[in-house]
Amino acid sequence: MECIITIELGTNAIRVYAFDLNGITIGSLKGYCPTFHSEPDHSEQDPDQIFITMLYVLKNLLNDVLHPKKYKVLCICFSSSMHSILPVDKTGSPMGNAITWADNRANKEAAQLKNSALGKKIYNSTGTPLHPMSPLAKIAWIKNNEMAKFKQVSKFLSLKSYILQQLTGEYMTDYSIASATGLLNIHKIKWDPDSMRFAGIKPSMLPDLVPVFTRAGKLNKAYQTSLGLSADTKILVGSSDGCMATLGDGVSGEGVANITVEDSGAIRVMGDKVLQDEKQRFFNYLLTENRYVSGGPTNNGGIIFEWFTRQFGDFKNPFDIEQNMLELIAQASKIPAGSGGLLFLPYLLGERAPIWNANARGVFFGLNITHEKAHFVRAAIEGILYEIYSIGKTLQEHRNFKSLSINGSFGTLPIFSQMIADIFNKPVRLRQNYHSVSYGSYLLAATEMGIYKSLEEAAKSVKLTELITPNKKNHKPYIKHYEIFERLSTKLSSEFADIVALQHP
Amino acid sequence: MELRPFPHIMEIGTIKNSAIHLDGFPCASTGGFRIFYVQEGKFEWTIDHQTFILYPGDAALILPRREFGNKNKVLEIGSFSWIHIEIRINRNKELSIGSWSSLSPGDHCEVCKILQMDHLPVLQKFPESGAILKGIQTELFNKEIGYRTRINHLLDELLIQSSRKIARMSNSGRDFPITFMDLERQLRANLAHQWTVEEMAALAGLRTTLFNEKVKSYSGFSPLSYLINIRISEAIKLLKRPDISLTDIALETGFYSSQHFSTTFRKLTGYTPSQFRKNHLRIK
Repeated sequence: MECIITIELGTNAIRVYAFDLNGITIGSLKGYCPTFHSEPDHSEQDPDQIFITMLYVLKNLLNDVLHPKKYKVLCICFSSSMHSILPVDKTGSPMGNAITWADNRANKEAAQLKNSALGKKIYNSTGTPLHPMSPLAKIAWIKNNEMAKFKQVSKFLSLKSYILQQLTGEYMTDYSIASATGLLNIHKIKWDPDSMRFAGIKPSMLPDLVPVFTRAGKLNKAYQTSLGLSADTKILVGSSDGCMATLGDGVSGEGVANITVEDSGAIRVMGDKVLQDEKQRFFNYLLTENRYVSGGPTNNGGIIFEWFTRQFGDFKNPFDIEQNMLELIAQASKIPAGSGGLLFLPYLLGERAPIWNANARGVFFGLNITHEKAHFVRAAIEGILYEIYSIGKTLQEHRNFKSLSINGSFGTLPIFSQMIADIFNKPVRLRQNYHSVSYGSYLLAATEMGIYKSLEEAAKSVKLTELITPNKKNHKPYIKHYEIFERLSTKLSSEFADIVALQHP
Repeated sequence: MELRPFPHIMEIGTIKNSAIHLDGFPCASTGGFRIFYVQEGKFEWTIDHQTFILYPGDAALILPRREFGNKNKVLEIGSFSWIHIEIRINRNKELSIGSWSSLSPGDHCEVCKILQMDHLPVLQKFPESGAILKGIQTELFNKEIGYRTRINHLLDELLIQSSRKIARMSNSGRDFPITFMDLERQLRANLAHQWTVEEMAALAGLRTTLFNEKVKSYSGFSPLSYLINIRISEAIKLLKRPDISLTDIALETGFYSSQHFSTTFRKLTGYTPSQFRKNHLRIK
């Protein structure tokens, strides 16, 4: 029997899945990797810990599930979160931790670009919003703040490039991850000279740029032995988590938008054209030549509901966050749509799309004496989803979509998916116990192996089994509340700045 | 009271103070470990340069060589009990309870680690400590059969209850990611130590079974596997520096021997540590 393994290097966890050639899951395991915050706006991960955790999880899945059943692993396909940057020296050793997408140290560098003609030009060529998340801004930060270190850097890798290099010795990065760096011209598929100049680096300091279907060399002998894999096991560079979640939900062309609500959230569309947004609100990531995943990310997804639960759950048993969330959701579902006029702006972590305001903060608005705890719970969930809707609404200025697909551990909770259907007034498809990123990577590998003729054909094979139709009765109150939500989120911008000044004296 | 059979008890007592005494309670530091338990009144005490207000039922824990007293030297109105036990700090800056204690070596290590943890020195609502202090004083006064043993047992009980209280205080029971992050920090800060699951659970303030379950579901690993993860990741970093010997790396990252290091490293990566190092240096 033959199988395909997918490895997702996510921010919180390494997920390893094994699929048979028909895409049926044989087994899966995950391992946690911590994010370190040595300073409030720093977010880092230890590249060696990620590597070891990945090996450990992979080895356990092989030894516990695949080897006993005599599966032959044909291919291992990688995906990872975007925007990470890891400087290595001339021996290939990491010079400290990798900086992750959530790191905001390059705030100044990003702001400097954002308000300039050069920034506009760079956004148009690279498709990556000018934000501290982008490796472009982070490399510039290292250059501006740690010159001695910067001079010793031989290459700037992504976490995935580092892991691949450890396994095979090759320095490679795929189009999707590269297109999220702010360094790649997505129209010409070449490193962008303006970005290079701003960051102060040469293309030779970046890994080799390759399509997502590329084999990243041969697995080192030692790993063949320790993992029990044969020398001809194909190692595919693969893509990014965002692109794979979209593909894994069967989205490949126009007409459908894909929503992820995990800790953070995003709404994405796929098409053969870049979204040129005057206000620079959207990302455009490259899956393959002429195939773009475009959309907007929010910082404030399920993590905000988790925060809410930690503060207001009963916690009869220590650390039982799942049970407490379910209890709160049960209370929220008894309250009618609109939470009796209580609105919540979920910007506890500042916000990216569509307002791109790092100073934005959370707000409960419209409180009156009849409101109870359950109203707060429902308002919190509605606020998180109004924010997703506000990205979707601006996205619709460029692209039409008639239906939605949803994934993510929060997005697939019934109350979340029904609310999304009602707020957007569009049918929603989803599948429980389904991991879109991993399945997307399976589809990518299967296409490379010729099981599918193209990614479009692969995407069409996806069956999202659950259909949720919008409840028209709820749509109207949601939209009326949303209009106030939208006005507040821009109207309060000077007050956001003032309160942030008090929070960080 | 007769303290001769108990050289490790430097002082024990109760004060009922009905009038303010200026200069009655100045800040001072001593070599031993002190616990003060408030029975009545309200006391403003400074511990290690931080000021706290203690109410009846609260206890203050003062580690060796930390300053303690009233900032204005005032002894306020009310009553409290205290004990002053000799506990040394050894060369590795770890606490070390004397041979009078019957704590098992593992428990001894956990209790000391927790007492030394970075926690607030005031344990609010901790009447258990007051009851134990009272018990010790009663035993000392009555000198019934077996009182020497009983008193040492009560001292152990006091240390155990205190460390349990601290461990419970260190987490809210709501935010496992933060608790886990704190634990990770402590493991990394002392990677050479032979951590046991019980010690780790105590640091997280959880019963061992619940701790195992939570770590497994949160991290995907058992606590000891997670620890091996950290050990090997750190070892990889050190192997890339040619100036440290394999034995030093093994000990620094918490393996019992270079043999144990080598076997574990090879099982996971396929390389022995020296092969890994040679390979890496060749890339240069």
